[in-house]
Amino acid sequence: MSGSKPDILWSPHHADRYVICDSELSLYRIGAVGTSEAKAGALPLSQETAATLLAINSDTPYMKCVAWYPKHEPECLLAVGQANGRVVLTSLGQSHNSKCKELVGKEFVPKHARQCNTLAWNPVDSNWLAAGLDKHRADFSVLIWDISSKYSPEAVPAEKLRLSGDADSGMVVTKPLYELGQNDACLSLCWLPRDHQKLLLAGMHRNLAIFDLRNTSQKTFVNTKAIQGVTVDPYFPDRVASFFEGQVAIWDLRRFEKPVFTLTEQPKPLTKVAWCPTRMGLLATLTRDSNVIRLYDMQHAPTPIGDETEPTIIERGVQPCSESVISSFAWHPSTQNRMVVVSPNRAMCDFTVFERISLAWSSTTSLMWACGRHLYECTEESGEGGAAEKDIATKMRERAQSRYGHDTVQLWRNHLLAGGNDPHLRSLWYTLESLMQQYTEDLEQRQQGNKQSLIYAGIKNIVKSSSGTTETRRCWKGSDRPTDVAQYHSEERSLALQLCGWISRGPEIDVEPFLRSLEQEGEWERAASVALFNLDIRRAIQILNKGASAEKGDLNLNVVAMALSGYTDEKSSLWREMCSSLRLQLKKPYLCVMFAFLTSEPGSYDAVLYESRVAVRDRVAFACMFLNDNQLPRYIDKLTNDMKEAGNLEGVLLTGLTKDGVDLMESYVDRTGDVQTASFCMLRGSTAEVVKDPRVQCWIENYRNLLDAWRFWHKRAEFDIHRSKLDPSSKPLAQVFVSCNFCGKSISFSCSAMPHQGRGFSQYGVSGSPTKSKVTSCPGCRKPLPRCALCLMNMGTPVSSCPGKSDEKVDLPRDKKLAQFNNWFTWCHNCRHGGHAGHMLSWFRDHSECPVSACTCKCMQLDTTGKLQPSDYV
Amino acid sequence: MFVARSIAADHKDLIHDVSYDFHGRRMATCSSDQSVKVWDKSDDGEWHCTASWKTHSGSVWRVTWAHPEFGQVLASCSFDRTAAVWEEIVGESNDKQRGLSHWIKRTTLVDSRTSVTDVKFAPKHMGLVLATCSADGVVRIYEAPDVMNLSQWSLQHEISCKLSCSCISWNPSSSRAHPPMIAVGSDDNNVTYSGKVQIYEYNENTRKYTKAETLMTVTDPVHDIAFAPNLGRSFHVLAIATKDVRIFKLIPLRRESTTSSGPTKFEVQVMAQFDSHNSQVWRVSWNITSTLLASSGDDGCVRLWKANYMDNWKCTGILRGDGSPVNGSSVQGAALGAVGSGGAQTQNSVVGAASAGRKKAQLMPG
Repeated sequence: MSGSKPDILWSPHHADRYVICDSELSLYRIGAVGTSEAKAGALPLSQETAATLLAINSDTPYMKCVAWYPKHEPECLLAVGQANGRVVLTSLGQSHNSKCKELVGKEFVPKHARQCNTLAWNPVDSNWLAAGLDKHRADFSVLIWDISSKYSPEAVPAEKLRLSGDADSGMVVTKPLYELGQNDACLSLCWLPRDHQKLLLAGMHRNLAIFDLRNTSQKTFVNTKAIQGVTVDPYFPDRVASFFEGQVAIWDLRRFEKPVFTLTEQPKPLTKVAWCPTRMGLLATLTRDSNVIRLYDMQHAPTPIGDETEPTIIERGVQPCSESVISSFAWHPSTQNRMVVVSPNRAMCDFTVFERISLAWSSTTSLMWACGRHLYECTEESGEGGAAEKDIATKMRERAQSRYGHDTVQLWRNHLLAGGNDPHLRSLWYTLESLMQQYTEDLEQRQQGNKQSLIYAGIKNIVKSSSGTTETRRCWKGSDRPTDVAQYHSEERSLALQLCGWISRGPEIDVEPFLRSLEQEGEWERAASVALFNLDIRRAIQILNKGASAEKGDLNLNVVAMALSGYTDEKSSLWREMCSSLRLQLKKPYLCVMFAFLTSEPGSYDAVLYESRVAVRDRVAFACMFLNDNQLPRYIDKLTNDMKEAGNLEGVLLTGLTKDGVDLMESYVDRTGDVQTASFCMLRGSTAEVVKDPRVQCWIENYRNLLDAWRFWHKRAEFDIHRSKLDPSSKPLAQVFVSCNFCGKSISFSCSAMPHQGRGFSQYGVSGSPTKSKVTSCPGCRKPLPRCALCLMNMGTPVSSCPGKSDEKVDLPRDKKLAQFNNWFTWCHNCRHGGHAGHMLSWFRDHSECPVSACTCKCMQLDTTGKLQPSDYV
Repeated sequence: MFVARSIAADHKDLIHDVSYDFHGRRMATCSSDQSVKVWDKSDDGEWHCTASWKTHSGSVWRVTWAHPEFGQVLASCSFDRTAAVWEEIVGESNDKQRGLSHWIKRTTLVDSRTSVTDVKFAPKHMGLVLATCSADGVVRIYEAPDVMNLSQWSLQHEISCKLSCSCISWNPSSSRAHPPMIAVGSDDNNVTYSGKVQIYEYNENTRKYTKAETLMTVTDPVHDIAFAPNLGRSFHVLAIATKDVRIFKLIPLRRESTTSSGPTKFEVQVMAQFDSHNSQVWRVSWNITSTLLASSGDDGCVRLWKANYMDNWKCTGILRGDGSPVNGSSVQGAALGAVGSGGAQTQNSVVGAASAGRKKAQLMPG
């Protein structure tokens, strides 16, 4: 410790007090922020704690080192080593204490004045204070003083007394108890906790030496450069750390010949090395002018005795006060891993070193982490703020629970099931809805011998096969002025328009119903632009007016309407010039494309076609109306590729559920991880090429795996049912067969293999549920089936347990469902005892062992997974 | 928004690893106190320790669950140079211990001559396969040929990585297009050996694991590594905990000829790199959809990372190691550290780190 740089010292017994020493000693008390203890002048040390200055002591100038008296009484007694080698006892704010009084002010003066480097109280015999001094010729460098010694021999020169400024000669002690380390300097020393008579010294002559005070002539020593800051591991009394320059050496006193190991060298010289008193094997080091405290975790440091394992030392670095340089630090004596850090300008900071945190996510998006010996679980809470978007895992879970994807009749409703707030999903399911409608209608036509279906293939393939396009130049509606805008028509193009939702089925191109529905939804700009693209300026203006006058309407729409009404097709008009430049400032994309359309040259509509804020379906419909047979496929191809690259679900309209669609969905999944949507969407692709695509199969498997991990087993089962309806090849085979003990034939054989020939049983059945028959014997050999272990009746499981087809759609009440299940034939696969499912369930409700006498099988506990409840269970 | 609460773990020493089972209803922890604890979640959401037993004669570094279709099986690895496989058996013991499950050691894997630093079960479609790595730089892959007999494990592969290994991660992809793949991280301190992450791929023809990729840009010690759940994506994502958090994207290049027997070539991109932990990063973990990444580091904080639609990764949450929120976030009901050690924190470091995080968390050109 040098005079300028502050050092820090915790009180050994008061967990809330510490001393900062630089040119003076300042005693601080640390307390929680906001408590009555913390006064107004308290210095904040961290978010929770603040320090209050209790006392300042500036009686002892030229301080070189300080040591706090280790015993409870007298408290707050400190030994200060000075630059002239004197050791002074002093105190902070404890003057009333009588016991302290006779000690405070006591001085211990060496024969020759030189710097005092280090001080250490003996931990057991607390009267003993060891002081390490610089070298002075052949004098001793380590003096052990007894603070209780009273006598002051006359030998003390009067001059020295004057220097100390203390008139009371009884307070000056010049005769040490022991003198060690002749002809050497002492840089650091410490008492050994195993034997309080032993002292470890680090001398200038590059050695570490252990002295025994009972026989001071003998010493064990080792030559080393690492002679600064010797300190004993409080958890491992044989382990000592010492340092030199940037290197720390760890010693084992049982084998003192060489360091057990050295830590990686730091580029700058070290200033402090300290073992953590509250955590085993943690050494903190500080280098000069650094803001990082390096920690070495030696949980499994090698011992010199025993095997030669690689040391597992974990090196860590902490920055207690971010960027500012640290002057010194001190571990808190009792609170685990806590330290106070002081910077050169005496700014202090209370800091706890966290242990290395290990963490794991559960399948249900809760995070568990372990810090030290404690566990913390952290779950995603749907906070009322809800500003942050939910993670896709949470979204998929919620969607699975709301039966997302299962509405097979009204496909568009699935986006509502998904929450109704995702524009991509909305677009996707509306697209699929219209694709499906077209598909079913086409299917009917095909049965009437029409040409092959194209519809699930999407607009890209539809327009490719376009033929017989007619070009027309229509007039603006309501005026006879001819336009030079060419419009194109063909059967395929109208089909595409239908898919885009602009027109409904039929030979005529009538957008009026579509406009009305847009008006109803308040999409004024979009409706106006669709009207305009159908060359009906009046209708567009009317829509805009309506929009302006509607509730919460935008009055600016009237201004736009005014601007529209001024339309002129003259090439060099002011209107055209202003519109084409000012339209770029319009924020609403649909208004923007309206003016783009009006001001662009016929046949070049890039400003409309490549306005990415406009919905894909509108742009495609526009293209189908105004692009010729050369331009259209090129545009559609380019748009399709853009959509594929971006994974934009709007593009499904173009690709349909084809290989292109799988490519598009692949980049959507790559981007979002939403395998749920991908699975449900691609299952609708009827062609084997799509469903059997390995990527699609992979998404489906991943989605099923997710449902399983969430224990949404019912949802998974429902998904499988849904899947097998759309993809019959995915139906799993029967899993279990029960064979007769006597003849070895399957007892369900006769019925499952020849369902229509089960006369023998169905004759008992009531019509409508033909299989409700009683079978108590093997259908093959007519030997009786085993008995239920509880009711001792022969098992009479109906051979086919599926209820009548008419029941399928009806949601059975719970007890009715169970009533059928009660008859099931169940058995334990381990002990092979069994019976009626209902009987078994009720038995195991309050028993753990098998109901069969002398069978100790814990049938119900065998499978841990079986104990888990499905989390979608209602 | 994430809210944390503390659970009384009752380990006698530092906990080194936590691991959830497939369903997230069971959890295992391991500690320097040489024990493993198994926790079950009750219906009210509370965790109850249902088993605790001494597993090794040294610190237990990692613990991991097998897929439940192989039974209730755990693997642990330790400083005592071994890895072990444990199976839960139904209590044949007396009624006193009802409610406590019984775990028995099925095998001890003693091939390593140094501390076994990580253990991981392979994805279930590969069967019951276990990989370990050790400080002497060897990755060992074991297989239980008979899933009914967990005491028989055969050492199938030994991969020498030349560098001391600290962590491994299996590529979880179940797609047939992706051969089995394992990434290995090294905590070797020497910066002159660059490429602290190596990726090995199984070759169907030679029936051996061969090196497919070395991430040469990772030069600092690697403490943890995690492949993201693939979820049907066409590429692989790998998170690495080194002196910063790094996220790599490995895009398999489509092979020109199907007959080529060499390992898959990858296009490697850095998706993100964050140094907001200020110092070493210790752990990384992906959520089930690999859309959230959690990391822990020497700033004593757990950070959550999330990518937006543009693949732009951002920090979406910071929690201190004792569960308390970093100031500024008004999280209610956050469980503060239940014990004294959690009493004091440093505003400065955490806040400083947080702001640095915001500044530095940006997309890397990739």
